[in-house]
Amino acid sequence: MTRGKKFLVMVSLIVGFLMLFPAMTLKEVWTPPDAEAHKEPHTPQQLKSFQDQFMAMVIEGDKLFHGGGSVQLSKTGMACAMCHPYASDTHPYEFPKYQEQMGKFATLRDMINWCIEKPNEGEKLDPESDAMKALEAYIYWSNKGSVLDPGRH
Amino acid sequence: MEKDQEKQGSEVESSFTMTRRTFLHKTIAAGVAVGAASVGWFPTINTMDIAVGAEAFKFAWISDTHLYPKQVNTRFVEKATRAVKEVQAMDPPADFFIFGGDLSQLGTEEELTLGKDILAEIKAKKYFIPGEHDWYYDMGDVWQKFFGGTPWFFDHKGVRFIGLNTVAWAPDYWTERKLTPKERMAVMATLDSIIGGPWAAVEKEQRQWLSDKALSGIPKETPIVLFTHNPLYEYYPPWNFWTRDWREVQEILKPFKNVTNIHGHTHQVLYNEIGNMRSIGMLATSWPWPYAPTGVPPLTKPMIRVDPGDPFDGVGWSRLTVNDMQKIENEYVMWRKQVFAEAPYDRGDGDNVNQRLTPRLVEL
Repeated sequence: MTRGKKFLVMVSLIVGFLMLFPAMTLKEVWTPPDAEAHKEPHTPQQLKSFQDQFMAMVIEGDKLFHGGGSVQLSKTGMACAMCHPYASDTHPYEFPKYQEQMGKFATLRDMINWCIEKPNEGEKLDPESDAMKALEAYIYWSNKGSVLDPGRH
Repeated sequence: MEKDQEKQGSEVESSFTMTRRTFLHKTIAAGVAVGAASVGWFPTINTMDIAVGAEAFKFAWISDTHLYPKQVNTRFVEKATRAVKEVQAMDPPADFFIFGGDLSQLGTEEELTLGKDILAEIKAKKYFIPGEHDWYYDMGDVWQKFFGGTPWFFDHKGVRFIGLNTVAWAPDYWTERKLTPKERMAVMATLDSIIGGPWAAVEKEQRQWLSDKALSGIPKETPIVLFTHNPLYEYYPPWNFWTRDWREVQEILKPFKNVTNIHGHTHQVLYNEIGNMRSIGMLATSWPWPYAPTGVPPLTKPMIRVDPGDPFDGVGWSRLTVNDMQKIENEYVMWRKQVFAEAPYDRGDGDNVNQRLTPRLVEL
């Protein structure tokens, strides 16, 4: 071997050793949570489980939207579906946008809460609550296939 | 408050246009024997009911008040009361008043009584047709006790007015499911119900009555006005924005030259022409509905987008005139400055162009 080649081999060995160093010295190698889900192909059962969880929320949202469900959203007999049959005219595909009625830039959840308070005469939901997520799931599900056009007034 | 507008390019009968009718009036006024037979225009002159400068008159329509008991919802009561006050304030007073259905929200005696009391302030002669919300709690018992039966007709200043029941014909969805009256009503109270089915119809018996009684023995030129809760054509069946036997009804009406259908149920500005029938949709007092994803009649000049923050927007009643040509003119009394949309971004039917919808999943 020439001196140059010897030098290259030495450098490679040192770099290689340095790369292995952390793995050899760390007590525990960090792995991301649910590493299996990202490393293994999805099973049909998993996909069904994800879909079932989504549809459970959609069903709860459907009930809430129509005046039933786990939370009473109106004190005056109103329900979202009275003005929005099939969740029509809710425009989830246009949020976030400047919402004229609120006088500010708003997300869909902001608008849902505004509607619950004003036309529906009910009490606002915690935006992070399951009920809010369920309503959001139903409204999006019912508007599936609509063309995304955020910001449209 | 603006007049219902004719479609572009239609022949608007006005005093400036020499129509056949105007010609006839003028010749009679001049004392000329109408030699229609010699002119060959009106071979059936003997049977024709000539409206010699027919007397114009007004009537009022309120519908879709959807009243809850007062202690549950005051807004609906306020809006119904406002409409009633305005009808009573008409000067000169309306010749008569028609209530177009859905007086109550859940069809209880309490709600129907509340509605009856609110409407009592109108002193003109009152006519009634039911909505589905009035019917399915007790299958029309209290409604008929308070407001009488259907169908009916009456003549007023040369016009035949007919009232039909388009709501009592739901396929039985309650017996097998063992629903209580309250549950049965709850299904009908949901516009996007997946259980109620295609309940809107005129039905065989009423169609028979229409041809045998209401429309028999009168000249074909007699102006006919049909009051129905649902439109007498097909707009959007999933929300019962139609009557399922509209084709058969159209056949019965075909021989008549001047037919107008006035309807409720749709809670929005609508206008359509099918054959020789014009159909005008009335507003609700309670709340407005969005235009359906498909089926909006092309002749409709849409109403302006509604502000959901204003409970008095997008709702109201109608002041209708039968003019001296015996044609109906409709004036929407909507409680806002502008009724109709001009710019595309203001149109109620232009607001949902990107929208795709899915029927609901669960009900009972």
